Amino acid sequence: MELTLAQGIVKAAALLGAGMCMGMGALGPGVGEGFVAGKACEGIARSPENASLITRTMLVGQAVSESTGIYSLVIALLLIFST
Amino acid sequence: MELSVEVIRIAAYLGAAISVGLGAITTGVGSGIIAGEGAYGVMKQPKANEQIFRTMLIGQAAAQTAGIFALVISMLLIYGGFDVAEGGWYRAAALLAAGLSMGIGAFGPSLGAGYSGGEACKSVARMPKHGNAIMGNMLIGQALSQTSAIFALVVSLLLLYSVPNQPAGLTMGKIILKSISLVGAGMAIGLGTIGPGTGIGFVAGKANDMMGRFPKERSKIMRTMFLGAAVSESTAIYSLVVAFLLIFAV
Amino acid sequence: MAKKKGSILKIFIIFAIIEIALVIISGSFNKQLQIGFNNGKFVFKHIKSHYDLQEKITEEFQIDEHFRKTGETPEIYGSNQVYEFFKEIFGEASAVGTFQLLRMMLIVDLLLLFIALIIKKQLLKRPSQPQILFEMVYSALEQFVIETLGKEKLNFTPYIVTLFLFIWISNMIGMIPIPGFMEPTRNLNVPLGLGILAVAIVHITALKVKGVWGHLQNYLNPIKNPLALLDIISEFSKVVSISFRLFGNVLGGAIIITVVSSLVSYVVFPVGLNLFFGMFVGTIQAFVFTMLALTYIGVEISE
Repeated sequence: MELTLAQGIVKAAALLGAGMCMGMGALGPGVGEGFVAGKACEGIARSPENASLITRTMLVGQAVSESTGIYSLVIALLLIFST
Repeated sequence: MELSVEVIRIAAYLGAAISVGLGAITTGVGSGIIAGEGAYGVMKQPKANEQIFRTMLIGQAAAQTAGIFALVISMLLIYGGFDVAEGGWYRAAALLAAGLSMGIGAFGPSLGAGYSGGEACKSVARMPKHGNAIMGNMLIGQALSQTSAIFALVVSLLLLYSVPNQPAGLTMGKIILKSISLVGAGMAIGLGTIGPGTGIGFVAGKANDMMGRFPKERSKIMRTMFLGAAVSESTAIYSLVVAFLLIFAV
Repeated sequence: MAKKKGSILKIFIIFAIIEIALVIISGSFNKQLQIGFNNGKFVFKHIKSHYDLQEKITEEFQIDEHFRKTGETPEIYGSNQVYEFFKEIFGEASAVGTFQLLRMMLIVDLLLLFIALIIKKQLLKRPSQPQILFEMVYSALEQFVIETLGKEKLNFTPYIVTLFLFIWISNMIGMIPIPGFMEPTRNLNVPLGLGILAVAIVHITALKVKGVWGHLQNYLNPIKNPLALLDIISEFSKVVSISFRLFGNVLGGAIIITVVSSLVSYVVFPVGLNLFFGMFVGTIQAFVFTMLALTYIGVEISE
């Protein structure tokens, strides 16, 4: 496949954008999920009899806060493979 | 387009400076947090002086792992013998991207490890009897938060040693595309480790804190810490996947 | 308690001594001195060491690419007939990698079987040390199954224990410095297969417990679950995250050990790295994989 200069620059911008998108998109969910898990540790230490309930709440909450990370992954894959 | 050796050298030196310069920022901050909490702990519990001191030193050593990774990468960039013109623009972009990846990638993990170690010092000062258990937990938590720094190190080693030489007779568009995609891979994994590293450090710090307050619930706290840290790491893994795709599939 | 700690420390020290001795014998990890079986014969020879890192990394991690580029005949540590057989099935393109991977997986499986048979033969009232170790592993994992799934779902314990032992032994087998030995989990196909298996078991269990419509309406009924599309995507991302976590950690350890041990021709430092990545990271990642596989089931079936 022969690329002209303009096509190459456009595609290169898409690829750089994919990298930045996934990198910055991973920032928020990482911190947020860590906060959830830290609070869950505290909760389990304070009331160990509710351990399984707290663990389930923690996992569901983390799954929801991870959704923005998954959006970034989808956008990054789209930028890599479909432009 | 032909490329002289100087451009590759410029890229390598810039990469080395970026790597150790950015990587040293939060390494210092994290070690400082640990030392501060340690000093405060000695004030509160002067009898447990030796134990707090030991925890502080070991925690600082573990918190500086990511900084040492950045130092290794910049040493490799300076003395690794990257002064052959064969690599072309691919090699220059890869060297710059390796520095970016490890430099930004050391940000989050060292901050997280610093928070974890600080909470451990506080916790040892509160409950010197369980000092060994708390220190073990601190080391495991710091190792978990350094996992994302290890991902960044792997990507930058791959960028250094696994990018092919630029073939002859390519169009300018193709060259720009591949070079920029290598820089994008470095940015993806570098920025992607900031959040998970900090988050896992927060988990480990809370676990250390709670272990000092409720030493009986040790196994449950540790299990929750493992699980929560593993799930928080998944966005760093998505970044790793995107970086691999940008290096090997474009 | 103190006695138990002492015995673990003793095992660890013995292991470190054996590791250092093996590394010194095999020439400080550069494989300058080769010991092993080649075409069914015992080989003990010096080979020329080369310090070109780029070539070495290609040889270690993209072995088919390496042999295609250099045109050498690959060195097979094993039976030549089996390799020819593989070449016919998988074609020239990925014969060496596939052969290596399947051989390592066979070794791990045989090792598991061997350990199980030995432990079963020596079951005693006053258990020996290896029996204590494996009973500890089994009862700890059984406790986790009880806490997560409840007492009536104890039939999941064998699956969980097998998963843990397989990943654990796979992560640690790369520490043995015999030429041709590598971790099977370093190849992406193995963690991906394990991850797909784990998520498939989650859904099969949920279908069994909640009924077909009871489970599927979480994904198909927009009134009950308005974020159904997101849930479907997150099921796929579960497979990606659980398998790439294992793969990334094991591959990262292997790459770092290769680079460091070729930079310093020093003996002790790579051994420490090997112990860290093999025992510490390997154990943690095996545990994390198993716990995630277990909690996915727990979240899905407990309402």
